[in-house]
Order: sequence, then structure tokens, then C-alpha cells
Amino acid sequence: MNTFASRFSSTSAGAELSKAKAIAMEDDDFSDASWGSEAGYGSLAKGVPTFSIPSVADPTAFLRLHTDDSSDPNCRIKIQHGTTTLAFRFKGGVIVAVDSRATAGSYVASGTVKKVIEINPYLLGTMAGGAADCQYWETYLGIHCRLHELRNRERISVSAASKYLSNLVYGYKGMGLSMGTMICGWDKTGPAIFYVDSDGTRLKGDLFSVGSGSTFAYGVLDQGYHWDLSDEEAQELGRRSIYAAGHRDAFSGNTCNLYHVKEDGWKFIGNYDVSKMHYEGPGDVPGSAGVAYGYDIRVEGRSSADS
Amino acid sequence: MSIMEYNGGSVIAMVGKECVAIASDLRLGNQALGISSNFQKIFPVTDRIYLGLPGLATDVTTLQELFRFRVNMYTIKEEREIQPETFAHLVSSTLYERRFGPYFIEPVIAGLSQTPSGGFKPFIAATDLIGCLNFAKDFVVAGTASSKLFGVAEGLWEPDLEPEDLFETISQTLMNAVDRDAYSGWGCVVHVITKDKIITRTLKGRMD
Amino acid sequence: MANAGGGAYSFSLTTFSPSGKLVQIEHALAAVSQGTTSLGIKASNGIVIATEKKSSSILIDDSMVDKVAVVCPNIGIVYSGMGPDFRVLIARARKSAQAYWKIYGEYPPTRVLTQELATIMQKATQSGGVRPYGVSLLVAGWDITRGPSLYQVDPSGSFWAWKASAIGKNMVNAKTFLEKRYNDDISLEDAIHTALLTLKEGFEGQMTEKTIEIGVVTVPTIEELEQGKIGGETGRPTPTFRKLTEEEVRDYLAL
Repeated sequence: MNTFASRFSSTSAGAELSKAKAIAMEDDDFSDASWGSEAGYGSLAKGVPTFSIPSVADPTAFLRLHTDDSSDPNCRIKIQHGTTTLAFRFKGGVIVAVDSRATAGSYVASGTVKKVIEINPYLLGTMAGGAADCQYWETYLGIHCRLHELRNRERISVSAASKYLSNLVYGYKGMGLSMGTMICGWDKTGPAIFYVDSDGTRLKGDLFSVGSGSTFAYGVLDQGYHWDLSDEEAQELGRRSIYAAGHRDAFSGNTCNLYHVKEDGWKFIGNYDVSKMHYEGPGDVPGSAGVAYGYDIRVEGRSSADS
Repeated sequence: MSIMEYNGGSVIAMVGKECVAIASDLRLGNQALGISSNFQKIFPVTDRIYLGLPGLATDVTTLQELFRFRVNMYTIKEEREIQPETFAHLVSSTLYERRFGPYFIEPVIAGLSQTPSGGFKPFIAATDLIGCLNFAKDFVVAGTASSKLFGVAEGLWEPDLEPEDLFETISQTLMNAVDRDAYSGWGCVVHVITKDKIITRTLKGRMD
Repeated sequence: MANAGGGAYSFSLTTFSPSGKLVQIEHALAAVSQGTTSLGIKASNGIVIATEKKSSSILIDDSMVDKVAVVCPNIGIVYSGMGPDFRVLIARARKSAQAYWKIYGEYPPTRVLTQELATIMQKATQSGGVRPYGVSLLVAGWDITRGPSLYQVDPSGSFWAWKASAIGKNMVNAKTFLEKRYNDDISLEDAIHTALLTLKEGFEGQMTEKTIEIGVVTVPTIEELEQGKIGGETGRPTPTFRKLTEEEVRDYLAL
């Protein structure tokens, strides 16, 4: 379409405009898939239009058959579901805390997974559901956020970024994508969190928790949350909530990764071992009361059950 | 979801030099939700026999009572203590009674059997949920972490371990295996049976 | 209504007479004491049980008559009294031994099997529509906990352990004879000879390998036991009870 000859064949103002548009369009027109290893970042402008899709009459049904393990537990493509992630907004910014366990069935495949995806210095995404799906699309989202910055000379809003992701995954609805993510950041409006999942849901809110351990995290979170939390209190609440989920939920645990997003971008606060928090507490960190989180440790010798 | 994974839990038994060890985790779960970190799955049968019952928790309790009843009746009727080999057969036949509606338990038996000359011989065995006996010379495993336990035990076990070394081996095997199993863990208990004493220790394990 | 013997109370097996007796049981004992003599002697290294086997006619093939029965590899039984009742009890005993094996993977100790038989016999004294068994039994066996043991079971269902005992027609004389001859250090070989001598006392006719049956319990050595209770290639326990063959009986009679 845009051959070298046709691009420069006209010299009228209208033609100049359409030329500029065409060039701009080209940038937006690159493949979803090919920005990766094969094509490289240098050739973003060209590529194969989309992912290859199973060449069957009804690809959606085909993919559901092979990827949806809730309807067929013996399906061939296994997606990890166990996780606990949370994020909440308060006066001091956004707290993002996640566990680090990856399971395949009952097997604990890893205890050192990074479930917070650092999209750019101002945006964080959390990972729940399919690890690969989250990693790929949130990194991809990072590229678009950068392109937005270059084009508009200002940072993308959390709202816009999350909507970009939401629209993207909606395009693949029914084809087995599995993500439950929170896009967290600080923009002109202040601290912001958007929940986005692979069904196409996109919600704005103050407080979210996602994953198999979310109920346990909510329990602690709801009880301790209010807007005027100090930074230290907020961090402790995030840590304590992830501990609760890691303790009770079989598919969450190992360690907690804690992030704090402020006006000047996110900051990694620390990595805390769930078992160490149970027996000894999180250690000498701001906000910690310096006591063990474990119930049986705290009540040892003080309960009738111990006699 | 398998019924054996409903409550979770694992047991392992190992043979040492003139001693045996049996160990289990302490978790009781309701699928992914951890309920208790003090759920015993190993029970003494005689002074020298211990029985591990990993599987469905309701059946753990039921079978523990049933075996207590049957062993008590045996002891009274025969005026003697049951031997591990005999007890293993009792376990097997009791489970096969329910061939078409089984208890969801995979028992592990560890004990010292009296030899005709008055000595003691280590004995371990395990059965599947309908009572197929498996006698082993090294170790037996059962429960949700069984595949992981096999792997670690295969690497750590060696013959003729003294009681303290056997304790270390079985503890390390169990702790490392259950850390790779979502349905097992939340602390461990280890029993080492020697001819003149039983060493029982509760271990702090990962609590996630 | 009353008839000869027990009077009115002899009709119902389960009704006590005013003197506190169940007369049917006494009649059963009477049936036993009409039976051929059997005896058992416990030796220091085993047990012998023996009986006389006499045929009412020379036309009967007596090789088919078994009065000493093997119940399981470690237990044998001899009886005095009614042959058919014994046959039924042996069938029950064998079944019980196999049931025990099915549960525990080993054969029952002598005491447990004896208890089982005694229970069966007791039931026949308390149930409606049945009569007591017309036999007394001598149960000989070996097990790991109690070693060799010899029990007697009566129609009433009571049982005792003996060092030596005799039942049947000549039991009183035989017991007196055994009391004189018995000592605790007697060897199995000597016990077999004592058994034959005791039977000879009241024997009618010729004592031959055809008219005598002998069963022996041999105590395994510690070495044999250490080798394992599983008997080599057959996968079965090495028997500790066995019947002597006609040749062996002949050899003992010849001495």
C-alpha cells in the first residue's frame, strides 16, 4: 500500500496530511505478536497482523476445549490459578503486595515468582491467572505506554493504560486467555487502581485482591483499611494480608513482595518470607510491631487448647 | 479433584539399624483452605507398632477407632501383643472388606517385630486404599506428597542408619517434600521406634 | 410323659433339671465314654496324640477312616465318641483356621482354635432344636507364643490344657496309667512309646499300623524359625503337626 513512490507522488497540502497520517497509522499497525524476539524492537512498523489461530471452524470452542480446566480437568494446557495479589489506594499512594508461589496442580512449581510486573517507573501490574498471559500482555502494555509518552509528551493515565489492556484482551475473549490483574499507578488524578481481567471486566476502585487467596487477604485488608493510613501502617497492612493468605491458602505462600507507589513512581519495599513472618514476624521494618504473625505463636501457653 | 486431596496430608516410614521411623505432616485442610496445624495422622498400635493414616480425615478417625477395637480384641482373645506382620495383614483384610466402597486411606505401618531368638527386626509396610500390601526394605510413602517423598527419600536414604541419623534423614525427607506439595505441610511429627524407647519430636515446618 | 433315663427334663436340652444338671450333656458324655480310647501326651520337645481305630467288619477299608485329623499346619485333633459329629467339627475347625489365616496371614494359635471349637460345642448346648456334639476332642498344636500345647474339649464346651490325658472307653484306666508313667522331661520318642503302651492296656485285638493312628507335634528349633516362618519354595509354613505314616507306626510298634 505505502510504496516509496506513492508516498511522495503528491505535493498538495491535503496529500501531505494524508501522508503524515499514513506514516502515523503505520506505527499503530504493527503486529501484536512480532515485537518479541523474532521481529525485534527495531522493526515495530512491520509484521504479521495477528497471532496464529487454530485453523478449525470454531477456534473459540476448540481453545475452550483444550485450555479451560474448569470444564475439563484433563485439558492439555494447564494454567496456574493459585495466587494472592492485592492493591489498595490510600492517602500516601498505592500499596501493591503479592505472594510468590506458582503451582501446577498440587505441585509447588516455584516459590520465587515475581508477580508484580514493573510496566514502567510509574505503573505496576499484578499477576494472577496465567503467568505467561500476564507477563506478555503487561510488558506489551509497557511498550504502548512508552509510545503514548513519546507521541503525547506526557505520561499515560492509569485509566487509559488499563483500558488499553482491557480492550486488548477483550479481543481474545473466549480463546483461553486467563488474567486477573490490577493496574496500579500515580497520574494527574493521584493514586489509581484498575482491576482488569481476561473476561473484559475493568473496574476502578480503592481496594482489590485477586486470586485463590484473595478472600483471606480481604479479611485482613477490610478490617485494617482506611484512607488515612500512614505509609508504614499501609505497608504493614499489605504484608499482613499477604501473610494471612499465604498461611491459609494452599496455593499461595512462600514469600511476599511489597511495593509502594507514590507521586514520584513506585518503590520496591521488600521481600518477606511467609514462614518467617509466621514464627518471628517480618523483622525490623517500618510499621511492624515486631511480633510473630502466627496465631498459635501469639497465643502459645495462653489458650485452653495448649494445656 | 481427587478425594484423597480433600483434606491433604502425607506419611513416610523408613528402616534404620535396629530401628524404624515414621513421620507425617500436621495439616488438615478443606481443599485449598488450611484448617488445622495439629491434625495427628500417626497412631500407636502397640509399644512397638505405629500406624500412619493419610487420606480423607473422617476415615482417619474412623479407621483409627476400628483398628484400636480390632487390636484390643486380638490382645484380649489371644493374650498376646500383635506383631507388625500380623497387624499389616489385619490392616489389609480390614480394607479389602470395603473393596467396593473403600475407606479413602493409604495406611503406612512401622514397627519392630520380635524374632524367635528374642531380638527385634525392623518392619515397614504400606497398603493402597483397598489393602494391597507393599513390604519394603528401605522406605514407604503415602499421601498427597507421595511422589515428592519418593524422590527425596530415594536421594537421602541409606542402609543401617542409627536412630539419630535416621531421625535426621526422615525429617529432612519429609520437610523438603511437603514444601513442594500444596496440600501437605503446616508442621511435622516424627517417631523413631527403637527396641527400648520411642523418640517423638514435633518439628516446625513452613506455615504456608 | 417321663421316660427312662433323664425323666421329664431330658426332653428339652436347654432346661435344667432341679438338681442343676443339663442331662443331655451328661448323655453326650456317656456317648463319648462308649467311644474308642484316645490319648495325648505332651513331651519336652513335642506332643503325641494317638487313638485306636477298630472296624466293626473286616470288609471295611480302614485306610479311609481318619480319626486323627490335620486342621492346619500347626494343629491336629483326635477324638472319642461319634464319628459323624467329629467330621462336622473338623470341617468347622478347618474353616475357622482358614478364616483366621485370611485375616492375619498366619494360622491360629492352638488356644484360639480350641476356644473356637469350644464355642461351637457350647452353642449346641444352648440352642433350640439341636443336640450336643457326642465327642470329646484332644487338640494338639504348636505356636510361637505358647509353644506346644494339648487341650481337651468336652461336649459341654468346656476345655482344659493337659500334660497328658485320655478320653473314651478306657479313659479312667488310661489316665491312671499315664499318671504313673508321666514326667516333665519325657522326650517325644518316649512319649510315643508310652502312648502305645497306654493304648495296649485296654486294647481288644491286635495292635497294628492299621488299627492305630498317631499324630505328632514337633517343636521347631530357633534356627528353623529364624530362617523365616515361610517354608521355602512352597510359600507355606513348615508344618509342625503331622500324622505318622503306616510305616512309621509299624516301626514304633515293632520296638
